[in-house]
Amino acid sequence: MAQVEKKAGLLRRSSSSKKPLTEKVVLMYDEIFGVEDPAKNKPRFWEELFLMKVNLEYLEGKLESLDGDEVTKIRDNINRLFQHCVQTLSEEHQIKVVNALQTLCALFRGVHQKNKSTSGFDIINVLMGFDKAEQRMKELMESLDALLCGDGSESLKSLCLKLLLCLVTVTDNISQNTLLEYIMINSIFEAVLQVLSVAPCRTQHGYDAVVLLALLVNYRKYESVNPYIAKLSIVDDENTLNGLGMVISQALSEYNRQYKDKEEENQGGFFSAFTSMVGSMFIADAEEKLSVQTNEAILLALYEAVHLNRNFIAVLVQSHPEVDIASTPTTPVPATPTTPLGTTPPSLDLMNSAELPLDPNLQTSNLLITFLKYSSIVMQDTKDEHRLNSARLCLIILTCIAEDQYANAFLHDDNMNFRVNLHRMVRMEQVLSAGTSLHVQWSEPYSHALFFLTDLMVEFIVSHMMKDFPMDLYMRCVHVIHKLICYQKKCRVRLHYTWQDLWSALINLLKFLLSNETTLLSKHNIFPLMLLVVNLFNMFITYGDTFLPTPSSYDALYYEIVRMHQVFDNLYCMVLRVSTNAGQWKESASKVTQALVNVRAIINHFNPKIESYAAVNHISQLSEDQVLEVVRSNYDTLTLKLQDGLDQYERYSEQPKEVTFFKDLARSISLNVRRNVSLNALSQDVLLKEFSTIS
Amino acid sequence: MGDVDVEPSLNQVEEHQQSPSGSSTSSLSSPSSPSVSLQQVQQQQSLSPGSSDSARGVSPPLDIISEGVGELSIVIDPEMAKKACQEVLQKVKLLKGEKSAESGMTNGTVHVEPVGGGEGKPPKIREEEEEDPLPGTVKSARRRQKYNSSKQSWLLRLFESKLFDVSMAISYLYNSKEPGVQAYIGNRLFSFRHEEVDFYLPQLLNMYIHMDEDVGDAIKPYVVHRCRQSINFSLQCAWLLGAYSSDMHISTQRHSRGTKLRKLILSDELKPASQRVRRELAPPLCMPPVLPEHGLSPSKRTHQRSKSDATVSISLSSNLKRTASNPKVESSQDEPARLTPQREFIKSLMGIGKRLATLPTKEQKTQRLISELSLLNHKLPARVWLPTAAFDHHVVRVPHTQAVVLNSKDKAPYLIYVEVLECDNFETSNVPVRIPETRIRSTRSVENLPDCGITADQRASSFSTVPNYDNDDEAWSVDDIVELQVELPEVHTNSCDNISQFSVDSITSQESKEPVFIAAGDIRRRLSEQLAHTPTTFRRDPEDPSAVALKEPWQEKVRRIREASPYGHLHNWRLLSVIVKCGDDLRQELLAYQVLCQLQFIWEQERVPLWIKPYKILVISSDSGMIEPVVNAVSIHQVKKQSQLSLLDYFLQEHGSYTTEAFLSAQRNFVRSCAGYSLICYLLQVKDRHNGNILLDSEGHIIHIDFGFILSSSPRNLGFETSAFKLTSEFVDVMGGQDGDMFNYYKMLMLQGLIAARKHMEKVIQIVEIMQQGSQLPCFHGSSTIRNLKERFHMNLTEEQLQMLVEQMVEGSMRSLTTKLYDGFQYLTNGIM
Repeated sequence: MAQVEKKAGLLRRSSSSKKPLTEKVVLMYDEIFGVEDPAKNKPRFWEELFLMKVNLEYLEGKLESLDGDEVTKIRDNINRLFQHCVQTLSEEHQIKVVNALQTLCALFRGVHQKNKSTSGFDIINVLMGFDKAEQRMKELMESLDALLCGDGSESLKSLCLKLLLCLVTVTDNISQNTLLEYIMINSIFEAVLQVLSVAPCRTQHGYDAVVLLALLVNYRKYESVNPYIAKLSIVDDENTLNGLGMVISQALSEYNRQYKDKEEENQGGFFSAFTSMVGSMFIADAEEKLSVQTNEAILLALYEAVHLNRNFIAVLVQSHPEVDIASTPTTPVPATPTTPLGTTPPSLDLMNSAELPLDPNLQTSNLLITFLKYSSIVMQDTKDEHRLNSARLCLIILTCIAEDQYANAFLHDDNMNFRVNLHRMVRMEQVLSAGTSLHVQWSEPYSHALFFLTDLMVEFIVSHMMKDFPMDLYMRCVHVIHKLICYQKKCRVRLHYTWQDLWSALINLLKFLLSNETTLLSKHNIFPLMLLVVNLFNMFITYGDTFLPTPSSYDALYYEIVRMHQVFDNLYCMVLRVSTNAGQWKESASKVTQALVNVRAIINHFNPKIESYAAVNHISQLSEDQVLEVVRSNYDTLTLKLQDGLDQYERYSEQPKEVTFFKDLARSISLNVRRNVSLNALSQDVLLKEFSTIS
Repeated sequence: MGDVDVEPSLNQVEEHQQSPSGSSTSSLSSPSSPSVSLQQVQQQQSLSPGSSDSARGVSPPLDIISEGVGELSIVIDPEMAKKACQEVLQKVKLLKGEKSAESGMTNGTVHVEPVGGGEGKPPKIREEEEEDPLPGTVKSARRRQKYNSSKQSWLLRLFESKLFDVSMAISYLYNSKEPGVQAYIGNRLFSFRHEEVDFYLPQLLNMYIHMDEDVGDAIKPYVVHRCRQSINFSLQCAWLLGAYSSDMHISTQRHSRGTKLRKLILSDELKPASQRVRRELAPPLCMPPVLPEHGLSPSKRTHQRSKSDATVSISLSSNLKRTASNPKVESSQDEPARLTPQREFIKSLMGIGKRLATLPTKEQKTQRLISELSLLNHKLPARVWLPTAAFDHHVVRVPHTQAVVLNSKDKAPYLIYVEVLECDNFETSNVPVRIPETRIRSTRSVENLPDCGITADQRASSFSTVPNYDNDDEAWSVDDIVELQVELPEVHTNSCDNISQFSVDSITSQESKEPVFIAAGDIRRRLSEQLAHTPTTFRRDPEDPSAVALKEPWQEKVRRIREASPYGHLHNWRLLSVIVKCGDDLRQELLAYQVLCQLQFIWEQERVPLWIKPYKILVISSDSGMIEPVVNAVSIHQVKKQSQLSLLDYFLQEHGSYTTEAFLSAQRNFVRSCAGYSLICYLLQVKDRHNGNILLDSEGHIIHIDFGFILSSSPRNLGFETSAFKLTSEFVDVMGGQDGDMFNYYKMLMLQGLIAARKHMEKVIQIVEIMQQGSQLPCFHGSSTIRNLKERFHMNLTEEQLQMLVEQMVEGSMRSLTTKLYDGFQYLTNGIM
């Protein structure tokens, strides 16, 4: 014993002679990483330890460097450290609490980084010991809960959330994080909601809380009972849901703003590059500069809220700027120590103001509109994996929205008008034709909420017909349109939308599919998409009376079909060919054949009539009005077949189709969050300063 | 109190003095126990028959109405009235201090009285007095009749006759120079129905402000009495007093009676007397001041609820003031501020209007309005109401997205829709519990509003019971689809042949293997038919946002908003709308409203089928107020701009071809309303009649709005608007042309209307004349306003001459730009005179 101590003393001396600045805390860590109980001879060891500034790097590094055998040797001491950390959390002394929180972070991270391969159970054993694990974790969660809900320092709350984020993201695959099982049992859901529902708290930690929530909901989502899913689905407290909505909305609009700023920055260069661009026919460079990192975590949170919580839809459509009822005048927080996760957290000035700023330029908006803007940016460019995923998630959220009755009622409300700038890619034809106004920002200045959504879908359809065809996104996109039309049919909503835009986009899509048949067929089954598009036309043809705005719009539909009959003819030939050949597409192709019956009937009915009209009147090229005239006078002799289930759709379901997507997404978010959770020294200083004044 | 010797034989004052503990209490406090129901009075009587009998036996003390404040008591007797009044007044002045002490003492005696300790029951003696004013008046008067055959008995007989109505009372109050008569009428006001007097409230208050002391003294007791009874009345009075005092010179205004009374009302000292008493007796907050229905009503409201009710109203007031919760909340809970919530509500609405006016474009105004209102929503429900409504209610929600900014050059009037819950009495009924927006779905299916406490429990318990939401089908239960189908109203009642049924309902009948065929022509036809049957809508125009909102049929709007509202499922849910005007003087509008109402009543009485639509006006100050919007109506300007049709073609489009029932009835409505408003325009000299100021409702009626230029005022630039009223050739076309039957009908209606109005001219003149007192309104400009108005009734013309007059006016109006015919009409009238 004495020898050991002596040795340690010697070591210390020697090391101090070499590195005279070795901190005391490091020495204490070393003691912990010894075999002996450090408190054996120093009864106040733990107390002292938590009074000292944590050296995260050293602690983590030390834990990482241990190999399996060493770990088992010092397991008892690690268990003790953990235990004392947890105990310290409930102490009065704030600096101790802070240090304990940070030490815990280091422990979780260090142990996991070391034991990447080992099973979760070993980790639990190393940290807490099997027999104590349940008790320890319960204590930990209770302390965190108390800290989050208490009136304590905001920085402390922030640290708690960071610790939780650390804990949740220690593994790449969140579902493999065995420690989370204890968080499932000892729920901190209520504490997180509390953070979201109280204004000053939300402004500081809302972002972390929302990310944490999104991650927790995704823990073993498909394998077991996740209480967070159940709880999130029944939240109905207005304040909390609004809080959640506001955090998401702020994050999204911050992204929109950043994008806009970047865009404006690039504006000059963009114009100067005009000539070269036209020459090279290459816009991608300019576009890439504009890409701002999307925020998948927030998007996932939005998805979970929309998907799980039925009350959230109401929040989605509530007008901003919204003010908390019980808002006390919030003072600007002195130098928030929290470093953001991912993108910078949104500027929250708007949330704080109790009075509406009297700014004529201030736009009224709501989460849904903000989300539409965000989607329009994200969906512009789906080249890299990250953005593709974001776009996919956007479309999934839109699918959920399009299925929801309340959201639909809002979207179709005649009184809901907004000024939205949807972003769209600059297309070649526009570059060539538009001349000066190159930077096409598509602003139907002040218009109906639904129009934006439909425009967004149409825009997507026309702008992504490329070699690397995003089949999956197209399916989702057309599904969204279908669902909206189903609602309109059901509720007999007639909106004065220029449906021609949609029709021509859809026809162009068919054209693209036909001309790239071989390349596409090698990768995808294109027939379901074709079927969907044709059935959209069937909706218009057979149920147009229930939702089209005017009789002339019905005429225009026929005009469009007759005008573009070549596409439909080709489509028919193609699907007929495929369905008669025995092959893997036989069945799905034949469905398209059947679906085309009415379109073909229309073409076969009107084309001869138009030709004879031209012949009788000796006109070579009929004008639109003349064609419409022919159409109008020949309706009565045309018989259509009523098709089944046009207005039926399969409701969105996460399982089983989307499981992989969400697993991958959770993994990517997890990685990103882990990378960005920072508990660096700077924050420590600020904390110390704060607490020294308090205590 | 000394020796007020008014009338030896039957003087109540005598007795009053002899038994001060008995009748003095009663007479002093009689006006202050307002809405005690009859049952309760009886209940009281049955409880203590002795005392009630004795009280009655003493004699009805109707004649003494004196306020707790103790400024005045009046004894009415035709003979001695004047003298008595003077004496009493003198006494009052002398004994003012003493009397207030005494009133305190009487209150003391009241609460000593063993009333069984029942909280809801005001002390009994007051109850008995309550029924007195009316029967008492008659009784004692009759008695007096027997004994006195005074020289004024004819007047008295008139006053006591059944024919004597509010209109006459007001007229005598205004015209009589006798303080005794005025005082009598002041007393007599108590015997009229509240609604009847309310109609003349502007007149009463204007007299109070601008006429001499005696009239004011005669009116004040009644006003104070009513203020004690009703918050709404208090506020109306305060607003009107403020508005009608504003024309006074600023120095006199501050010390004027009107301003003083306004301050008194707003200071909230005029509470029901019972409340003042109970403050000493019962612990505060146990019960709202007056709870007449307590125990009688079947409502299951508990003590607990009324408490929460009080806190709700308080939290509202503090919220509206935007103050942080102050430590004094405890003390203010003693008496929830009676007037504050409503005043703050109105103030917020006006504030929005002021802020909107600073914004440059319609679009910005609209957006701003919507977000402002969504903020306001956070403070609702509360004990606030729309004074323009006809029933008692609490405002629960403002569907902010439905609000629109109206067309105006530099001000920002706006129209809001307001969801309210009807209740028995907005002062005493509990304020509804807030239902969060997000609760929409859950409440929609549940018939009754879930009690708050229960919900919390449910929530807690449901944590454990909620199943695993792994399965997406469960998380997204199919409720939505069901709801969709349930809520879908049967819009397509017409033209329901088999095939259209098919096209409406989704085809789920997979078993029918037979292919169904439909004709494309049918689809197209149905589309145009349905569009023809559904009311046409206007296209959205950011520069004219109100057009679309106003075009939507009211019922449709109600249904739509109800569906989207978390309160929509409640059976007493109603939708109201109101136009908030900020920066506009609505006093002329109010005057016009009163005249229109009077004429409407006269025509109804005389069975002339003229149609006019007076819309309610609330004057809040001399530059702000609210207007009850006319539903289902858009301006002719909007009609023409949106439809690009002539008025006749628009009628054909909206109602069908010439021979259809719908068209004919719309045409008839048009003619009747045209005739009504032509007369109004002529009599009141309504100017500035452009198409934006004339509405057309969905039944074909026209409705004139904006009475900014009436009587002696006219817009400067349009000095040549000389025709009697506006009658364009388009109007005549709708009536079927100059030679049509309907056009003759129009002229005949005008003649009948004019004859009827002439018969009751005094009732109309009176309204205008009283309001002229002390007024700087442009409509009273010059000295001949009333004389000219009287002349327009042409009392001296024979019916034949009147007919000619009408012919001339119609002719003249049709060719209004060539003013020579207007001269001819002038000649006619002048020549005859």
